[in-house]
Amino acid sequence: MNVFARLECWEAQGAISPEQHAHLASLSRGEPFSLFLELNILLYAGVLAFVAGLGWTVTTWSRQIGDVLVVTVLSSILAACFWYCFSRAPVWSFAETPAPTSVFDYVLYLGSLVWCIELAYLENRFRLLSGQWDLYLLATAGFFFLLAYRFDNRFVLSLALSSLAGWFGLTISKWPSHQSAAYRQYAIVYSLLVGVGGTLLQRRGLKQHFFGTYLNIAANVLFWALLSGVFEWRSSGLWFLGLLIVCGAALAWGLVRRQFAFVAYAAIYGYVGVSSLLLRSFNNTTGLLSYFVVTGVAMLVGLILIARRFGRAE
Amino acid sequence: MRLYSAASEETLRARRLLKEWAGEGLLTQEQYQRLEQETVCDLRTTNIFLRLVLFFFTLIIVGAAVGLFFVVFLSHSSQETAGVFFLIFAAVCYAAAEVVASQAQAYRYGIEEALAVCSVGFLCFGMQAAFFSSRIDSSTSYATESLVPAVGALLSLWIWHRFGFWYAFPATMIFTASLPAYWTPLHATQHVLVAVFYGIGLIGVVVMRSGHRFGYLENVYSLAEALLWLGIYLAINLKLQSLGLSTRWRFGDTWSSFEFSRPFYWTTWGLTWCLPPIVLARGIRQKDRFVIAVGAIAAILTLVSNKPYLGWQRHTWDPIFLGMLLTAVALLLRRWLSRGTGGIRHGFTATRLSGKGKHWMNVGAAVTGLVSPQSITPAPPASSPDPYFGGGQTGGGGAGGHF
Repeated sequence: MNVFARLECWEAQGAISPEQHAHLASLSRGEPFSLFLELNILLYAGVLAFVAGLGWTVTTWSRQIGDVLVVTVLSSILAACFWYCFSRAPVWSFAETPAPTSVFDYVLYLGSLVWCIELAYLENRFRLLSGQWDLYLLATAGFFFLLAYRFDNRFVLSLALSSLAGWFGLTISKWPSHQSAAYRQYAIVYSLLVGVGGTLLQRRGLKQHFFGTYLNIAANVLFWALLSGVFEWRSSGLWFLGLLIVCGAALAWGLVRRQFAFVAYAAIYGYVGVSSLLLRSFNNTTGLLSYFVVTGVAMLVGLILIARRFGRAE
Repeated sequence: MRLYSAASEETLRARRLLKEWAGEGLLTQEQYQRLEQETVCDLRTTNIFLRLVLFFFTLIIVGAAVGLFFVVFLSHSSQETAGVFFLIFAAVCYAAAEVVASQAQAYRYGIEEALAVCSVGFLCFGMQAAFFSSRIDSSTSYATESLVPAVGALLSLWIWHRFGFWYAFPATMIFTASLPAYWTPLHATQHVLVAVFYGIGLIGVVVMRSGHRFGYLENVYSLAEALLWLGIYLAINLKLQSLGLSTRWRFGDTWSSFEFSRPFYWTTWGLTWCLPPIVLARGIRQKDRFVIAVGAIAAILTLVSNKPYLGWQRHTWDPIFLGMLLTAVALLLRRWLSRGTGGIRHGFTATRLSGKGKHWMNVGAAVTGLVSPQSITPAPPASSPDPYFGGGQTGGGGAGGHF
């Protein structure tokens, strides 16, 4: 019985109204056919291509074009984008706010990317902050967070989070003896900052739909940092303990909240971490392969039980 | 021939649609709960994350088990013997996939998928090792070696048909694309043969899908048709492989123009312009999302590869014009559609009708937002200050590649 026969049957049973039947049947037939996603992707691709060309042209031809023209063009685009966004923005709200126009999100995204290009150009040419790139990134991250929350825009929120990550990375790279351990610690600080910040904002009811983005980024950075610590041969004990705790927390969170991405993170990162620790003393191929067979089967059984108990819903 | 009954797959489809409609508010919660009871299915499904993890661990188990077998029993065996055992493992994996799917009623569960994928891999390894590991380097034996991808293509096609795994179809296409290289060293002939193979496949898919309009198989055939159109386009566009090379971007490239005869070269150039409108027209006529997407991708690729085709110099500002064109097309199309009666023209609308589009936009926004600044914006300078704004691949909003 296909979906149309089912709809007729449900209408005959009185489970759905004739209006619902007509509407759902037309949706199933693709009538009307929505090009919403395609048009949005086209807009996004257009913005990316435009900004890529702009950045490339400025990079390649800045000497010939001249500072005045470059800064004028970039500033004009920037001003136009932000004028458009601020003049059309709806009243700010704690809750999710739909974009006022269909192109609003893309104009804001364009403005944010042009901001990055202009800032990079100004610092490269005029050394306004004497090469203090980390300060630019920190300011940019703050600016993007403001824009993301003012205009309820996930594109710009992701830019803000990556700018903040860039600030952490650049700050460490300027230290005289930066090592992977320092990166690891700052990656953990970054993930905790993002995770705790996202949680606090969510608790206060501030754009709660952003929480998933915060949590996924924080979890992945934290797992990578802990895993890189476990890979260190000399001092992996604490990192391993940390990894186990985070895996347990991710598993519990994933199962309770039915966020199965976190179950997957816990399974994969946890398995890699435990295996790396256990297999250090293995120098026997047979034992190594046996380990993967046995532990693989154990993981598979555990995951099947989880899938049966919790993860049926598609 | 298909592993799962049509009734089960239709029920699963109805169940998914019910959930979507309830999420959109088109059904009340009471209606949803009542109708959900009527779409109970005997197939075991899981969500995408657990499916991926189950797939991953099944691959580990199969790989390790096969490795263990070779280490314990066949550590000093010849390649031919190893090949024969790989063929046996391929058969075992395939049988296991059938059992998991039919007996345990697993449907897109990861386990049966990994087993099926392993069966294709083992079959190809096994055939190569068993029959061609000690081949004499002659053109005849090289042509015979094409049996390996041919059998890989056939098994992938069978798995696509039998299990309905969408990714088995592109695997078939990749195996098929590698076949002509075994038969002829002429690149032009290779391109033509690949396009002909895909063309034959396209005819077959178009004929088959006509009987499944609005059925549970429509998406399967739609994706297959879209991939075949894309395959044909990629086979006839001779300039695509040069697009990734930045050195050729600025100075143009003419290397492949010398490799092909002039009539062939210019015929393919003409076809790159003819194919996108044909694909787009077909997609719009069929209201087929995948085919429309491939038509749009092909059109963009034609615009991007046109200058190298004509031997013209490319400029750094070309992407600016491309971006403006794409944006203008999107805006004009949206405006034109929205001015129709009720925002609909010829059965098309620019408004969002389901939550799926918004969901994918949100996921895409989060992922691409993290990636795009690294790939787009210029980098901070390294150690030596350059008075002019120079190069770089990372930085800006997302900055350092150090993190």
